[in-house]
Amino acid sequence: MSPHPDSTVVDQQSGSALSSNADDAAAMLVGAVKRYGSGQSTVVALDDVTIAFPAGKFTAVMGPSGSGKSTMMHCAAGLDQLTTGRAFVGNTDLSTLDDRALTMLRRERIGFVFQTLNLVGTLTAEENICLPLTLSGRRPSDGVLDQVVSMLRLGDRMRHRPAELSGGQQQRVAIARALVARPHVVFADEPTGNLDTRSGQEILGYLRSAVDKHHQSIVMVTHDPNAAAWADHVVFVVDGRVHDVMDRPSADSVLDVMKGLGR
Amino acid sequence: MSQMVRSAARSVFASRGRFLLTGTAITLSVAFLVATLVLADSMRGRAASDIAEAFAGTDAVVQGVSLGEPGGGPGDPARSVRQSLDPDITERVVAVDGVDRAASQWSGFAKLVVDGSTVGTGTASDVGRNWVADPALNPFRLASGRPPTEVGEIVIDRSLADDAGVAPGDVVQVLTATGMHDATITGIATFASADAAPLQRTVLLPDGAASAWLDMAAPTEVLVDVAEGADRTEVLGRLSALSDAEVVDGPDYIRTMQDAATSPLQFLNVFLLAFAVVAILIGVTIIFNTFALTVARRRRESGLLRAVGAERRQVLGGVVIEAAFVGTIATLAGLVCGVAGVGALRWVVGLTGVSLITGPTIVSPISIAIAATVGIGATILSAWIPARRAAATPPIEALRESAAEPRVVSRARTASGLVLAAAAIAGGAVAVVDSNPVWLMLAAAIVPALVLCGPAIVTASARWSSPAARRAAGVSGSIATGNLAASPRRSASTALALMLGTAMVTVFSIFASSLTSAVGTDVREGLRADLVVTSATPDFSTIDPTLAGRIAELPDVDSVTALSIAEGVVAGKAQAIGGIDPTALPTMYDLDPIAGDLADLSSGGVAVVGDDPARLGGTLEVEFERSTIEAPIVAVVERSTGGFEAPAYFVDRATLDGSVGRLLDAQVFVDLADGAVADAEEDVSALVRDTPGAFLATQEEHVASSGSEIAAFGNFIDGMLILASFIALLGVANTTALAINERSGEIGLLRAVGASRRELRRIVRLEAALLSFVAASIGIAVGAGFGGAMIDVAGGAEIPSVVVPWLRLAVTLIVAVAAGVVAAAWPAFRVSRVPVLELVSRDR
Repeated sequence: MSPHPDSTVVDQQSGSALSSNADDAAAMLVGAVKRYGSGQSTVVALDDVTIAFPAGKFTAVMGPSGSGKSTMMHCAAGLDQLTTGRAFVGNTDLSTLDDRALTMLRRERIGFVFQTLNLVGTLTAEENICLPLTLSGRRPSDGVLDQVVSMLRLGDRMRHRPAELSGGQQQRVAIARALVARPHVVFADEPTGNLDTRSGQEILGYLRSAVDKHHQSIVMVTHDPNAAAWADHVVFVVDGRVHDVMDRPSADSVLDVMKGLGR
Repeated sequence: MSQMVRSAARSVFASRGRFLLTGTAITLSVAFLVATLVLADSMRGRAASDIAEAFAGTDAVVQGVSLGEPGGGPGDPARSVRQSLDPDITERVVAVDGVDRAASQWSGFAKLVVDGSTVGTGTASDVGRNWVADPALNPFRLASGRPPTEVGEIVIDRSLADDAGVAPGDVVQVLTATGMHDATITGIATFASADAAPLQRTVLLPDGAASAWLDMAAPTEVLVDVAEGADRTEVLGRLSALSDAEVVDGPDYIRTMQDAATSPLQFLNVFLLAFAVVAILIGVTIIFNTFALTVARRRRESGLLRAVGAERRQVLGGVVIEAAFVGTIATLAGLVCGVAGVGALRWVVGLTGVSLITGPTIVSPISIAIAATVGIGATILSAWIPARRAAATPPIEALRESAAEPRVVSRARTASGLVLAAAAIAGGAVAVVDSNPVWLMLAAAIVPALVLCGPAIVTASARWSSPAARRAAGVSGSIATGNLAASPRRSASTALALMLGTAMVTVFSIFASSLTSAVGTDVREGLRADLVVTSATPDFSTIDPTLAGRIAELPDVDSVTALSIAEGVVAGKAQAIGGIDPTALPTMYDLDPIAGDLADLSSGGVAVVGDDPARLGGTLEVEFERSTIEAPIVAVVERSTGGFEAPAYFVDRATLDGSVGRLLDAQVFVDLADGAVADAEEDVSALVRDTPGAFLATQEEHVASSGSEIAAFGNFIDGMLILASFIALLGVANTTALAINERSGEIGLLRAVGASRRELRRIVRLEAALLSFVAASIGIAVGAGFGGAMIDVAGGAEIPSVVVPWLRLAVTLIVAVAAGVVAAAWPAFRVSRVPVLELVSRDR
């Protein structure tokens, strides 16, 4: 089934097209609404958001605390269910999938990098990297594992367990795991949030080169303008709505917008 | 303080889920412990106090001169053998100066028969006594009806009346040494206030019938009431001057009776004590585990409290109050569940019918105190130890996300465990070589050795099984083994409870199979007869002596011979003496003579059971109640006739009858003519069915049922062990479920990267199965080693060889692993409920 949203996805305020063609989208939200609770205490985390994350590009999602940026990512990635609206990964409508199919989707078409608790403590780095593949009974295709491992310079760490790795190394293993299955899209939730500046820059460099060299689609939630500056586009989220979209961002320009959002 | 109480209570209610699990663990442990203690108390019963109460009015007892003390092992009579008193002993006692009143006490075998079938099975003896008219001296009290006055009238104890469903006025029969007698029940009696005398079913006869029915010429004992004002010591002195009699002081008599009533349970007590110890260990282990799992969370909590300015003392106080709160509520629930559980168990197993528990369920304050102390104490200690450590760490360190437990197993711990294990094995080896039970104490050090080595064992088994698990279950297998190794101490202590449980099962299985085999071997190898008629109870002969003759007259019956057994004393020890027909027996039961000739028994000789042919030609003195024989040893045989009461000596039937009077038969062997086996068997069966106190078995059935007394007892112990294993497995379930709580972040991650619910459940099941397998294998190995050594050293002549029931042990292993998987069902359900977002929402 192929999604045909009513209009080309355009951000209402700025008018800048995030993606000129919906078929180019790595992931997409259409009329997405997410409400928590009911009655008086209802919190609207996503308020009718329609957005497409372009394929083969590095998109950063920014916004103040509680803006709904994380919820947006969770819903787009099938980790959370929308109250109304639809979420697509490629051409697949997530709302039509049951738990089992969602599991398969996460296993085969989505890569994840989280801020912490990224690795299974009882498995070695190599086992962690191959986890999504082994879960679906596959082996990493020839060269892909070597390519990813050498790109992330993890060659000498493959037999170590997470507890024996530094924070930066752990995040590199997590990125390797996210990339090795060649997923349709990688979602990264504050991947540098727990790291020092140098390790953080290194990690962002790896994400950047995955996009540049292998046309990987990456969506990253962050609150750090320096991290957002590595992306191709930055989506600003405020009060559950898309507030602005910026192409070819720099740390300064992102910071200016953030200041304008009242921070 | 009240502020702290309130905050603790709030914290309990705020994290209900966690405390529900912890509370469940405590409740289970306390319930098991209190059930074990209550069961033990109820089995021991109130025998001692009942006996003291029943004989409270008796100042002294005149008895026959003691010939030999009871041997105590299987195959030896439990009572001491005494010479008969003079028929006029009571008149002579009354005539002694200072004796106010004296009452003759006759006792012998009597079994109640209702509608042609005997009443009562199991371990209690069937006793006939005379009704003592003097209420001060009568141990029995009339509960309803009237005392028996005429021959043909009887009073029975209340538990017999309940079992048989009879009431005063009913017409029944009584089987005694002189055969079957018709009787009318005139009343129901209690032994002091108990339904029955300890381990006895009693039929009370009028004075006249006691002598005639029980086939006794003189009373067994004379109960004496010393006149008021007379000096008891002086009266006792005068009584002891009576010829051919011995006198015991009232309190000494009561003590002897109490010992006799409780000694058959000594063996049981050892097991019950072992259960109680295992129950405490399992309980403490489960509680400790449960709290150890929440350490990480606790560390963060206390770190936060310390950071905002709480003193170390305040943090600790809060934890202790919290633990006391949970511990008390859960312990109370456990006490209720435990006592209710015993009631349910009695009802389900019908223990009363097996008469291991004859009285009411006894819940002693001591049992409650022990269980409550263990429950609340272990809870507070389990909470306090980690909390103290947490309070000692700087607040910031505690706040930081940190591993709950070091993965590294302490080398010193493992080393000291290995030293202990080596010492235990050496102790067992020395005990076997030296046949010295003292060394077994050292062998028991295997338990602390297991506690110390546990983490290393778990880590090692996880590492070894990892490749196999990976091959069998892919990455799920790796994760499962990894989880075990990730928290070796928790895994080890979870396994410990199961290990102890299976070790106990194994020790008992080996004990039971060795004993059964020892008791059954003779029958298995010696029996040649087609059919065997057996007595209703193993410790009394109950077969009508005319039955053998009547069977012999049936068509197609080739030959018939009977075995009678009497108690005699040889070299100061009470022994069972068999009376046989030396010409007829060998074709139907091969006693395997290794020296001499059994045929010479008919000329007044005696055959010795043993393996020393050199005893041939000696003489043997056997003292019976009424006479003494001195006989030449004319044969040495290697086999006896089997069972618990197997004779150690054989004489000719005529010799035995001449020495002790007319006897009922213990067993009758029947050989059928070749050919018409089925019809002939039916004829014999019909005849035996009409004879109360006699049961018919084929050769195969008799071989199979030899040692079945032990099997019946074994079933009961098995029940308790199943209970222990069940609790241990619930512990596995509980700790696994809690571990899932603690690992929810990682589980969320697995879900996020594409592990399905089924895979997560599989991981949990694998983990439980692997842990159960390791625990059960080690438990079985240790139990086999220890049990084998114990029986080899302490078994003596009664259990000459260790028989390992391999099939049973294999089944135990399979059941343990299967139960581990079943126990994982709940945690597996919980794991599939952990939401994917747990991972992400945790840090928000």
